[in-house]
Amino acid sequence: MNDTDIDADAPDRMLLQRMSAGDRVALGVLYRSYHGRLCRFLSRLTRRPDVIEEVINDCFWIAWQKAGTFHGDSRVSTWLMGIAYRCGLKALRQHGDEPVEDDTLPEQRTPAHDLDEDRELRDWLGKGLDRLSADQRTVIELVYGVGHTLDEVAVIMQCPVGTVKARLFHARVKLRNVLPGLAGETPIHRENAP
Amino acid sequence: MTFPSNSERDCVRAWEAMPWVLQGSATHEQGEWLEGHLAQCEACRREYDQQSRLRLAMSLPSDIPVDANIGLGRLLARLDTPEPQEVRLRSRSGNWLNRALVAVVLLQALGIGALGMKLWSADGSPLYRTLSQEAPPAAPGAIRVVPDTAMTLADWNALLHALRLKVVGGPNDVGAYTVAPTDSASAPRTTLQQLRATRGIRLAEPVISAP
Repeated sequence: MNDTDIDADAPDRMLLQRMSAGDRVALGVLYRSYHGRLCRFLSRLTRRPDVIEEVINDCFWIAWQKAGTFHGDSRVSTWLMGIAYRCGLKALRQHGDEPVEDDTLPEQRTPAHDLDEDRELRDWLGKGLDRLSADQRTVIELVYGVGHTLDEVAVIMQCPVGTVKARLFHARVKLRNVLPGLAGETPIHRENAP
Repeated sequence: MTFPSNSERDCVRAWEAMPWVLQGSATHEQGEWLEGHLAQCEACRREYDQQSRLRLAMSLPSDIPVDANIGLGRLLARLDTPEPQEVRLRSRSGNWLNRALVAVVLLQALGIGALGMKLWSADGSPLYRTLSQEAPPAAPGAIRVVPDTAMTLADWNALLHALRLKVVGGPNDVGAYTVAPTDSASAPRTTLQQLRATRGIRLAEPVISAP
């Protein structure tokens, strides 16, 4: 981590410090601050809202218990994402990674406030992500969605950087072959990267 | 083996740089170089456009409605009752491997217990005797007898029957038998004299217990 990262991470570190002293207000602030990105991250693993909420709460329950042991070796977001990833995998083992039946899903899978353009973008993305493995979806989310570096993704997924690179590479190749290009274009079918 | 041409190498470099330039973690020089490459490479420009679109799509909020306030409320309630939750988490974390190991250990414990019970209920006397242990007491009125090798089994049996004796030990290395009266009323001294007087008996001596 460079100085810029440390500065940007300072508010989260402060919240963790307060949590380690039993400050529930700090827990609430951190919870709300990460809820959106954890929701989206976990939605790449499962489509069940009850499982997503359970995993987020498991994650923050652990963060509450272990806040005092955070030594700042990584960014708080990397630490939290790592916990959420492991909790998510455990939940998948318990519940299975199959989505619930459509009739038990909320009425609208697409938020009502979505613009047509966003809805189209979601559909476009969904077609691609459906073809990826859970590990590949996770890497794509962490790199493109959350903005983590290769090293950080390796810490989160507890695997070598080379493995992350390989997953990212294969995911990108698959997406390029599967996803239609920009509006009106046909998919580009190529087996290998440039 | 063929090596990629310069333009192919540039395309590989551009491919690798795209995610990091898009997320803003690439260096300024990397960004400038990619921009220059894209200006002259149509294929990479198309790829970069798709990557930009991918990043835009990935940045959309989750389409699965999960209420943060309700979730936080449940979490805080959970913190107030930590004990049962701890138990629940522990029980959920036990996977099939742990359960199998526990089952194996229980099975072993049961086996050891059953074996112990069997050994406990069996006769505990060992099949050997140490030198420091006292010899088992000789039967009352026991006599050590050495019959002649020429004596027939029938004569030997008849003699034992006539004197109301039974063999309680032997023969040992020198062919001596230990005999004892079957009837406690018989006089050992008389029996001893009768044995000595019998033809075919080479030796008859009373067994005296060690002091």
